[in-house]
Amino acid sequence: MNALEIKNLNVSIEGQSILKDFSLTIPKGEVHALMGPNGTGKSTLAKVMAGHEDYQVESGTVTLDGENILGEEPDVIAHAGLFLAFQYPLEIPGVSIANFIRAARAARLPNGETINAVEYYKELYEKMDALKMDRKFTARSLNDGFSGGEKKRCEILQMSMLDPAYCVMDETDSGLDIDALKTVSEGVNLMRGPERGFLVITHYQRLLDYIVPDVVHVMFDGRIVHSGPAELAHELEAKGYDWVKESFATTA
Amino acid sequence: MNTLSENTMNNPAKTAAEPGWLAERRAEGLAQFKTLPAPAPNDELWRFASVGRLKIDDYAPTGAPDAATAEALLERSNLVSERAGRSVYVDDHAVCFEGISEALKAQGVLYLPIEAALQSHPELMERYFLKESTELGSAKFFGLHAASTRAGSVLYVPKGVEIEQPLVNYYWTSTQGTAVFPHTLIIAEANAKASVVDVFFSETKENEALNIAVSNLHAADGAQVFRKVVQDWNEQTTSFQLDTTIAGRDARVKNLAVNIGAERARYENQTRIEGPGANVKMYSLTVAEEKQEFDQRTFQTHNAPNAVSDLLYKNALLDNSRTIFSGLIKVAEGAQQTDAYQTNRNLLLDPTAEANALPGLEILANDVRCSHGATTGNLDADELFYMMQRGIPRRAAMQLMVFGFFEEVIEKVDSEELAENLRQLIHKKFDAKIA
Amino acid sequence: MSNTEVQDDAINVDTEKGNFSYPEDYAYDAGVGLSEDTIRYISDVKKEDQWVREFRQRALEIFHKKDMPTNWATKDLENIHFDKIRYYLSKGQQPSRTWDEVPDDVKETFERLGIPEQERKFLAGVEAQFDSEAAYSHMKEELEKEGVIFVGSSEGLEKYPEIFRPYFGKVIPSTDNKFAALNSATFSGGSFIYVPKGVKLKQPLQAYFRINAENFGQFERTLIIADEDSEITYMEGCTAPKFETATLHSAVVELVALKNAKIQYITVQNWSSNVFNLVTKRGMADEGAEVKWIDCNIGSRLTMKYPGVVLKGRGARGEVLSIALANDGQHQDTGAKMIHLADDTTSNIISKSISIGEGRSTYRGQVHMPKHLKNCKNNTECDALLINTHSRTDTYPAITTRGQNNTVQHEASVSKVSAEQIFYMMQRGLSEGEAMSLAVNGFVHELLKAFPMEYSVELKRLIDMEMEGSVG
Repeated sequence: MNALEIKNLNVSIEGQSILKDFSLTIPKGEVHALMGPNGTGKSTLAKVMAGHEDYQVESGTVTLDGENILGEEPDVIAHAGLFLAFQYPLEIPGVSIANFIRAARAARLPNGETINAVEYYKELYEKMDALKMDRKFTARSLNDGFSGGEKKRCEILQMSMLDPAYCVMDETDSGLDIDALKTVSEGVNLMRGPERGFLVITHYQRLLDYIVPDVVHVMFDGRIVHSGPAELAHELEAKGYDWVKESFATTA
Repeated sequence: MNTLSENTMNNPAKTAAEPGWLAERRAEGLAQFKTLPAPAPNDELWRFASVGRLKIDDYAPTGAPDAATAEALLERSNLVSERAGRSVYVDDHAVCFEGISEALKAQGVLYLPIEAALQSHPELMERYFLKESTELGSAKFFGLHAASTRAGSVLYVPKGVEIEQPLVNYYWTSTQGTAVFPHTLIIAEANAKASVVDVFFSETKENEALNIAVSNLHAADGAQVFRKVVQDWNEQTTSFQLDTTIAGRDARVKNLAVNIGAERARYENQTRIEGPGANVKMYSLTVAEEKQEFDQRTFQTHNAPNAVSDLLYKNALLDNSRTIFSGLIKVAEGAQQTDAYQTNRNLLLDPTAEANALPGLEILANDVRCSHGATTGNLDADELFYMMQRGIPRRAAMQLMVFGFFEEVIEKVDSEELAENLRQLIHKKFDAKIA
Repeated sequence: MSNTEVQDDAINVDTEKGNFSYPEDYAYDAGVGLSEDTIRYISDVKKEDQWVREFRQRALEIFHKKDMPTNWATKDLENIHFDKIRYYLSKGQQPSRTWDEVPDDVKETFERLGIPEQERKFLAGVEAQFDSEAAYSHMKEELEKEGVIFVGSSEGLEKYPEIFRPYFGKVIPSTDNKFAALNSATFSGGSFIYVPKGVKLKQPLQAYFRINAENFGQFERTLIIADEDSEITYMEGCTAPKFETATLHSAVVELVALKNAKIQYITVQNWSSNVFNLVTKRGMADEGAEVKWIDCNIGSRLTMKYPGVVLKGRGARGEVLSIALANDGQHQDTGAKMIHLADDTTSNIISKSISIGEGRSTYRGQVHMPKHLKNCKNNTECDALLINTHSRTDTYPAITTRGQNNTVQHEASVSKVSAEQIFYMMQRGLSEGEAMSLAVNGFVHELLKAFPMEYSVELKRLIDMEMEGSVG
């Protein structure tokens, strides 16, 4: 099946249960937003899908186009087509953006094939221009000393260069001013298409004005408690998360 | 064959017509070698060093290489193509001395083998040659060097003369069991500018050798000197490198060392700031693997006010290797407005490797800014996850991070060709390990 | 200044306050010099068991065999003349349980130092040692009922050997260093404390050490055992009059924190400026336990003291917070040792030193993480403040790291009080001396907060006094 499918996923960390029978399907071509109060398990979901070793998966499955990815190494999952835009991108001193993305691309090539440097740089510069990133950035160490906005733009640049089938964006809007938010959203919208699925994790509705989702899910206490069309985000914004807590705390 | 033990070493190296002062210095050196005690475990200047592994008795100077070896090694002496001059020594025998241009000669620049300089410029040599021993623990071995050294190069840059391209000295070992005593002497007069690269290589992976190298760098008022050291001995070599820098008023000196070779490498690097306003940088990068031990002792002495010294030593450790970084900043009484910094970063890549840090300060003036920092840790797990999420396999991600760790030093090399060659040397060492 | 209103409540102990002595009148005196006979005399007076006698004699041999550590430490140690020191002086063997029973001159001494007053105010128990033996020892009754033991070293070994003997000399063996050996041979006085399982002392226990006699060496021995899940805070203070000749104080303090126990040991050292203060202090922390040394060195001619924690059990924590103040003629050679011997152990060292006039402060540290360990952390910060042109500071840490996922971080800095800061404060109406004191107090402010209120007020005042005359 052409989708990112999460079925009955149960995850804990140090004995504490975080994801509880979590299920979600994102078909290719669709953008799903996942909203919810802080501490409800959104970021955990993103990291578990990407293969972070800190979390204990108790049960459940996660598949990309029918192929299991749970339990695989993070690089294997990345090759399978999942890209995670980090909430807090890491700073890697001494490794330039250009070399880093190049290494990531090279790792996807079959043995013996190499990257054409001229074409690579052409593509890199085009995408940087689109994200309004200074070309000088390519020589700078990855995220080292970047502002919050620069880091997020750099995440979208990588996402676009690595051409994943499924994009999971973890709180990409946090720490962005409105101009940066628009630029980042434009970058994402350019990537939308029938061959790609998106999961946009956010606490605020603001981002969803620019990246309009096909479906909005509300997450609370480790599972999805409500789903609906794009307008649901506005409703949430108006009513606030207390409404979610009140409505679903008992049934959860 | 004569060996270098305290009992059998009786005659200092002698060449045709050595002046009396030199004979005296050699005799003094020999006496120093014979009388000073061998390093002991409770000696503060040898703390954490495996003194038991120090053996120098089995080595002795050897004869000149055959023509084929000389030619092959000359061919391999190619780290820097754009240079003002080059010397190549094999087992302490000169196989090539590519002098400087006539234009530089006309300005009074000297670039000569030590022996030639002793003949042609005895006063200069008397003033500078073998005058600086070490305060960092290896005075005994400096004595042996003084008694034995015959190979090496002298660079003298007169007042105000600037040399853009580097002088490159290659010191090779080739014969099994050889002992070498390379000496680099750099004298930059007021406002002169120069750079020197010293390269230490072994012919094969197997030839055992002892190296006791000394370098003295004198930077007079306003002089600018950049000295780079590339040490990639094979892992059958015991190496001492005893370097001293003396900086005058407003002198700017950079020392950059890439130390990746030898079974056991002791690197003593002392800087004495004698003139106000001087600025001295000391950078080092080391990759330690297998049973290698890198023993780094540094000294930043501020005898004059308003000067700056900055030290950055980065070590990456694999397997059962060990590193010891022992650094001391000493600010003398009256050396006010000193800025002195010292940083040691150790990256442990295997749980069996051991990093020791002894970052010290002795401050006798109150108006100073001094700090030191030492950190030891593993590769950051979250950074690794981030890179792997982008699809880079674990080993490759580790390698990228290690190179990122080194880049802070490599990028200070100032020559893209040399920087690239250094990356290749490190790559060669790493590829077998993590790739 | 801002702290004047609380100063009235401060404990009145300072260098001058302690500078008085009473005529000597001792019932027991081991004479001058150190020999097997000296040791035997001490054992006889104390009516010691054979094993204690042997322990002392063995330690004496070790003391004679060991060299002075002048290969790394100051040569000033050579000015200690062991053959001119008196090793045991006391007026009697049994400490009094009430102040009324204490001999008048001794009682007056401690009253002038404010000890009975402190006891009433905030202490759970006090022991007051006068030269070689405790003159007074008392603990609140309810603690006795809970099974807390708080006695002198001789009484501890004699009455409770089953509790104390297994740990005595184990955290710090006699072979540890020359002065630990000297103490092991000649020890007298000090506190032996046992806190039973689960007992948490709300108020601190305190010991006060007083040297009254000239040419005397004080060698108290302290051993604190905190049983599982217990908690204790112990404080010690010390003073001596200023004699013409040098005096020696060489203590050994061993702490044992069993599973999940917490020990906090606070020292305010204010010996007069001719005392050689050479002390060995080490704690052992079992699984989940915490040992915290809070160490403040203001007095003495030379102090050499590096409190340590052996982190023996998984998840153990060790901490050393220290303040050193070195004035003219003083050398504060202090530091910390953290020996990690189990996974998930953490240690923290914060050291602040102030050098005034020609004073010298030295930090020596050791952090050790061997190869089989995982997830250990150490953080060390050393900050030195230099007040005058001829003030001196040194920092000599030694760090060894192996293993997996262990991190060690050491940072040190040297600074001075800038002329601009002083100018700024003087412009607001402070005198130069007040401004300097304020700046210095600011430098140690974060650390002072770790001390109990009564002590931090006293420390502030001591620092103010030391700063007087340091400017201009």
